[in-house]
Amino acid sequence: MSQDLRDRKISVPTIVFSYTFLLLFTMITLFPIIWMTYSSFKSMGEIMIHPLSLPIEFTLANYQKCIEFGNMDYAFLNSIIYSGISTLLVVLLSLMAGFALTKFPYKSAKVYFGLFTLGLLITVNSVITPLFIMETNTGLYNTYLGVILPYVAFGLPMAVLISTSYIRGIPNALIEAAVIDGATYQQIFWRIILIVSTPVIATISVLTFLGNWNEFLMVFTLTSGENMRSLPVTINSFAGRLNQDYGLQFAALVIGTIPMFIFYLVAHNALIKGFGEGALKE
Amino acid sequence: MIKDKNKKLSYLSLILPAFIIYIAIIIFPVIVSFGLSFTKWRHFQLKGFVGLQNYVNIIQDPIFQIAVKNNFKIMLLSILGQIPLGLILAYLLFRKWVRGSKFFEMMIFLPITISSVVVALLWNRVFSPVGIYTTFIRTVTDNPDYVVKIFENPNHAIVPVLFVLLWQHTRLYMVIFIANLQRIPKSVFEAAVIDGASEGVIIWKIVLPALAGVIYTSSVLAISGSLKSFDLVFAMTGGGPVHYTYVMALYLYQQTFTFNNYGYGSAVSIIIVILSVGLITLGQRIYARANRKFN
Repeated sequence: MSQDLRDRKISVPTIVFSYTFLLLFTMITLFPIIWMTYSSFKSMGEIMIHPLSLPIEFTLANYQKCIEFGNMDYAFLNSIIYSGISTLLVVLLSLMAGFALTKFPYKSAKVYFGLFTLGLLITVNSVITPLFIMETNTGLYNTYLGVILPYVAFGLPMAVLISTSYIRGIPNALIEAAVIDGATYQQIFWRIILIVSTPVIATISVLTFLGNWNEFLMVFTLTSGENMRSLPVTINSFAGRLNQDYGLQFAALVIGTIPMFIFYLVAHNALIKGFGEGALKE
Repeated sequence: MIKDKNKKLSYLSLILPAFIIYIAIIIFPVIVSFGLSFTKWRHFQLKGFVGLQNYVNIIQDPIFQIAVKNNFKIMLLSILGQIPLGLILAYLLFRKWVRGSKFFEMMIFLPITISSVVVALLWNRVFSPVGIYTTFIRTVTDNPDYVVKIFENPNHAIVPVLFVLLWQHTRLYMVIFIANLQRIPKSVFEAAVIDGASEGVIIWKIVLPALAGVIYTSSVLAISGSLKSFDLVFAMTGGGPVHYTYVMALYLYQQTFTFNNYGYGSAVSIIIVILSVGLITLGQRIYARANRKFN
């Protein structure tokens, strides 16, 4: 469509304004990140004297300190466990639910669906106190499961919404034919629904993974052991706002962003699509 | 008959795993939270029912009042700052008046992957004595001793936080608006161009009406998002200095996890829910009225 629109004469001020606006916003977006990245290779002294300049004496000492004293390797691993397993479960459970809610003739489906939609309005704040009490009483507190289960629960409402609207569009004939051929519903789920749903699996997993990777409050309140912390929580306690070792802090921040930048390089299309359409679902 | 029973069983085995986890971890605690909000706790023990006392105390607490004020500032910023700015960015990229708009989109959206904690600490450094902002102002004003003092002002301490929230979330609205702009049928634009409509007319008569729905949805997102904001403020200022940058979620966190006052904390969370539902309902009313007026 842009092709057709571009044929129109566009005034010079419009073009100048567009470039200025976009370039300015892009610079404000990227400059702090670039500054953080190269500053992480500077010594504390250099940062104090030349705050904005590129590293004169390139050093990896900040990163060494991060890994040696900061528990960063543990945190990274934990983040992978928390986000990875919860994403896997959210994808699987939401597709199962989506299948049940759209391809079975039961009236209760409406009730289930309504309750899941309600969950979109409920935030972590409103459950964190009772959740904490429940977890300390059941022994889930400070365990992997104690973080993964809430991650799954909070990922479900949006995921069920996305998967339901997608699976509804899968032709009923496809499922009926399989039933006539004698397939069980379990087989239909694993061999048809799961295969046909690849596009929404991508959307759901990318959104869930990113959200849980960056989640802070639940890991912060539902775990206590240093070896149970995720990356954001570790960064905050090891290199938080009261830390005065700037170089170390920059290195910690870079460690916190690089994995997701790589993720973005691979998955930006799915991310842009997921976020862009996320708000359409109401 | 046997087949029907199997079908029902399959149905339940598909829906129940998700449903049980969801009910146990979200719906049940919300109900518990409501009950807890009428209780008093001390030393991790339930000390009995206190009726509405928690609510009365919360509303009268000056710290909570600061928090509410800050939450409203964040909300106004989201609706009047992030959404319009996101809309402008989206429109400029959508019309492709610049080369490489796909590249711009990708670069501008990149920080969506950064956790709030990292964003907060990064911008803390930007505003610190060795930061980009401070150094820039020092150079421009030729005052080598300049430091950011805005945090010391009770009314304006929240401003840097607001700026960072603007930096962090505008890009999300941009992407949402681009996705929706792309849904407007091509023919609508072509017809307008053939009729010789100016850019202003296209924006007012085509783009904004077509986006009205998603602008409304984004506002709902912005309202509920701003009432729950925690991570960024917690990592950036911790609510300080004094209590100048407190927000409701931080107040809740402090009551529950620092003072172990579970009843009081729960009451705060119920107030957040009530405010959020109330504001969204209000928004719905305004939107419905505006819709009637324009159609």
